[in-house]
Amino acid sequence: MTTQTLSETMPKPTRFSVRNVLQNAGIGLALLALILFFSVFTEHFLTPNNITNILTQITINLVLAVGMTFVILIGGIDLSVGSVMAFAAVVAGKAITLPGFGPAEAIALAIVAATLTGVACGMINGVISAYWALPSFIITLGMLNIARGAALQVSDAQTIYSFPYAFEEFGSAMIYGVPVVFLVALFLVLVAWFVLNFTVFGRLLYGIGNNEEAVRLAGHSVYWYKVAAFTICGFTAGIAAIVYMARLNISSPIAGIGFELNAIAAVIIGGTSLSGGRGSVIGTLLGAFIIGVLANGLILIGLSDFMRQMITGVVIIVAVVLDYYRAKYTSK
Amino acid sequence: MKLLKIAAAAATGLALLAGTAQADDKPVVGLIMKSLANEFFQNMMAGAQAHEEKRGDYKLLAVGMQNETDFESQINAVENFITQGVDAIVVAPADSRAMVRPLKKAMEAGIVVVNFDVALDTEAKKQQNVELAFVGPDNRGGAKLAGDALGKKLGAGGKVVIIEGNPGADNANERRLGFEASVAEFELDLLDSRTAHWETEEANSVFSNMLTAHPDIQGVMAANDSMAIGVVKALESAGRDDIVVVGFDNIPAVGPMISDGRMLATVDQFGTDMAANSIDLALEVVKGGPQLEGWVKTPIELVTAN
Repeated sequence: MTTQTLSETMPKPTRFSVRNVLQNAGIGLALLALILFFSVFTEHFLTPNNITNILTQITINLVLAVGMTFVILIGGIDLSVGSVMAFAAVVAGKAITLPGFGPAEAIALAIVAATLTGVACGMINGVISAYWALPSFIITLGMLNIARGAALQVSDAQTIYSFPYAFEEFGSAMIYGVPVVFLVALFLVLVAWFVLNFTVFGRLLYGIGNNEEAVRLAGHSVYWYKVAAFTICGFTAGIAAIVYMARLNISSPIAGIGFELNAIAAVIIGGTSLSGGRGSVIGTLLGAFIIGVLANGLILIGLSDFMRQMITGVVIIVAVVLDYYRAKYTSK
Repeated sequence: MKLLKIAAAAATGLALLAGTAQADDKPVVGLIMKSLANEFFQNMMAGAQAHEEKRGDYKLLAVGMQNETDFESQINAVENFITQGVDAIVVAPADSRAMVRPLKKAMEAGIVVVNFDVALDTEAKKQQNVELAFVGPDNRGGAKLAGDALGKKLGAGGKVVIIEGNPGADNANERRLGFEASVAEFELDLLDSRTAHWETEEANSVFSNMLTAHPDIQGVMAANDSMAIGVVKALESAGRDDIVVVGFDNIPAVGPMISDGRMLATVDQFGTDMAANSIDLALEVVKGGPQLEGWVKTPIELVTAN
């Protein structure tokens, strides 16, 4: 009986379903339309340098959005990722500037420090919201403040700088014009896609988003799966911190203010439902591209900052309304 | 035994009383700053605390805020200081209009008020019938120093862009006006002017896109050093070393960039000393000195490689 309920709540792997193709095709078309528009109306949009710029500029948001996808798929939200990124960057910045280490050891230390900080914060978010079944909105809002305060405390509100040269090299390295940091993000997308589609763990996350009770009745520990989703989100915040540091060669305790909202926007524009259970990380990739292309193209067109902000807002709302109709027609 | 205990307790109580009485002899100065998340105010607070220890003849109560726009907590802080009966309030207002009324209340309560860092709005002061001097740097003049350095380097017709601070913030506005004054004086060609909200990563992205739109940019004026760092990184990734960058604030992280030429100049407004100097001025008035008047300008200095 219970297994039957479970299989009903767990949709078939999205890769072959009509629904998924339609979903991503819609976002893909929107992205293509934007690219076409900016290519026609600006002279520099479709140049190799500008494409490299866009890839660099969306990397941090994409990394954060990959983790965010896991949390939103189980029907949660993580408002703390921007602050956690700053905290992880500051801890790693302290580690990388410790005296007495060679460049390689210092970089390794920084990567470990950033990742562990992110994982720890994510795990705390997950444990507290899952154990007491509390809304993750509030718990992660708490963590947003804790991590920001911790970042300021640890750094004494000072920008940390002068990292090893090799770290900077990594941040600006290219392979055929593609930034290496973007390839890191793309690798995360592929891993996430594989995990969400081809592992029991991934399918159960969709199941939890659709019908938590059914997954529980099937004998799975919902608690640990939830903790895992938030921990993954914290992990990607740690990775984002490393990208931030490598790209800018500083750690700033006020980095990443509002980044959580951009990451959520990428996930939602990408067609993942805020109530959980439906969506894909490929959509998130496209969503991050839409936000990045808009931010870049609207500056090239010469639109004022305020108009740019308004248009970004309109796009988010349009995406959600479109998603409503998409859900309505594809679920028939 | 019991008597001894009572005696001891009484003695402790007396000592405590004496302690507070002694502290009461010293004038109490309430210092209200903006966001302590900002390196500039963090350094300023450290400077003020060191100053308290060094002078030793006053008691400092310092408060900061959560963020730059949280002016409600500044108003609360003023009200708390009035209740506590401090002798002087030294304040860097988060909002140049909203703070006028609460500060008027403080002055009416006989507290010496010194306004530093950001000037209160002249109109609002007139409306509320408040006479209050301003102690602070000339943000516009400072930005003009940096802008002029860039103008001299590029000469007439030099193509420049401005990276602005938070739209609506008084110091962001003043610095932009200072840069624009340099643009006018040196007949520079201003291609674009955009905000990056004081932040490194945003400045990096925004400037990269401006550079794509205008590959012929020759100079960049950034309203603070955090954003200048983002610009410098963008230039490095674009492989451009022909573009001149100036910033503002002289934070430690730009030191190496100025000495190796990646930045032309920044402006130091000696934030560490600013609160301390204002406290000195306030204590003068508390001790019966004349009221402060007009604009007491604090030093600003152009910082270059030589």
